[in-house]
Amino acid sequence: MARLPILGAVIGNGFEAVLRAAQGGSGEAFSQLWRDGNPALLRYLRVTVPEAAEDVASDTWVHVVRGLVAFRGDEQDWRAWLFTTARRRAIDERRRRSRRPVAPLAEAAPDQLPVSEDAADVAIEHLATRSVMALVARLPAMQAEVIMLRVVAGLDNDTVARLTGRTPGAVRVAAHRGLRRLAQILAETGVTL
Amino acid sequence: MTNLWWLSSRDVPEMGDASVAALLAGAEALERLAPGLQPLADALAALTAGPTSDELAGEAAARAEFDNRVGIPAPVSRSRRRRHPLLASLLSARAAAAAAVAALSLGGFATAAFTGVLPTPAQQFAHQTFGAPAARESATTGTHSGATTTPVGPDATGPAAFGLCNAWAHGKGHGTHSRHSVAFRNLAAAAGGASNVAAYCAAVQHPGASSSHAAHPRKSHPASQHTPHGKGRPSSHP
Repeated sequence: MARLPILGAVIGNGFEAVLRAAQGGSGEAFSQLWRDGNPALLRYLRVTVPEAAEDVASDTWVHVVRGLVAFRGDEQDWRAWLFTTARRRAIDERRRRSRRPVAPLAEAAPDQLPVSEDAADVAIEHLATRSVMALVARLPAMQAEVIMLRVVAGLDNDTVARLTGRTPGAVRVAAHRGLRRLAQILAETGVTL
Repeated sequence: MTNLWWLSSRDVPEMGDASVAALLAGAEALERLAPGLQPLADALAALTAGPTSDELAGEAAARAEFDNRVGIPAPVSRSRRRRHPLLASLLSARAAAAAAVAALSLGGFATAAFTGVLPTPAQQFAHQTFGAPAARESATTGTHSGATTTPVGPDATGPAAFGLCNAWAHGKGHGTHSRHSVAFRNLAAAAGGASNVAAYCAAVQHPGASSSHAAHPRKSHPASQHTPHGKGRPSSHP
């Protein structure tokens, strides 16, 4: 099954022009960046800070809007910046909520299920996405985060290492263990997608 | 979704580095995977499936934030102009004082202070704190009398010694110190010769009980000001 990185699927080759337009004040260009980045951002945050994913995502965009004009870099840099910002916001948010117990991510709770268009297979695909996110959330925190950053955010190993403040070796090991554990969970639960 | 639990097993095929790389990268290399890893490949594919409507629900709010921030679409120069008041306020006496406290342990500020190149409030602060030359009152009047053309510099036998030694050590460490500067000459005179400066400075104490200032770490940036790690290039500085 071929898969496209979810991030970048909306904009593709025109990234540079879209970024420049957004930096010049084009709301439409900014919306394009947002539509491109937000789904991946939310998936990452729903695994790492399930109790506050939406809040952290909008907080992240507030910071991105503030820093947008000064941003320099290509699409990889942009993704790295977006997720770096999100990670910091998530850490702040977790600190703020540290006195409260953290609820684990429910496996595709009914109210979180995507309100899909009419096509049934689209709904099933979304269900699969949420189910796998729930499985990833069962991994040790670092493994879950690394898998989301590598697979969903489309960041390379070294970028993930810088972003998480770990060594590239540690990130590689976390990815390996995470995938292996995920494969075991899939085998145990017998989930087929 | 079918639950095929009777076919499942706890045994997962070994995963080599190549398999891991292929799984993480998705797409092209997946045919090379061991058959037992196909469920995992499918699961990862589901993670990157197209956006759902709830994932796109916040667009209007984000757009409003953007429009609010940007106001009338204007090019980059607008934000440049807006920086000036910020810079001005950064150079206020309070900021200068904070910078001086941070720089006391670094020496760079002291170097600047003794060459008199700091902005007036900072220079004045340096003058009061560790004996750097006073800020020139009227740099704009332009008529320098003969007396001001020979700089006197701070007195290295007094409380200025600490700052001078700091500046000297800093300059020495960076290979930038000048043996001809007024500050160095004063320091050498106080030490009883240029070759004695190191020994003289070794004996100089941090001035007074205010030494606790120097131990303060520099203030860390607020979270929003952090430069992202990605290749060190993108900047979140507004």
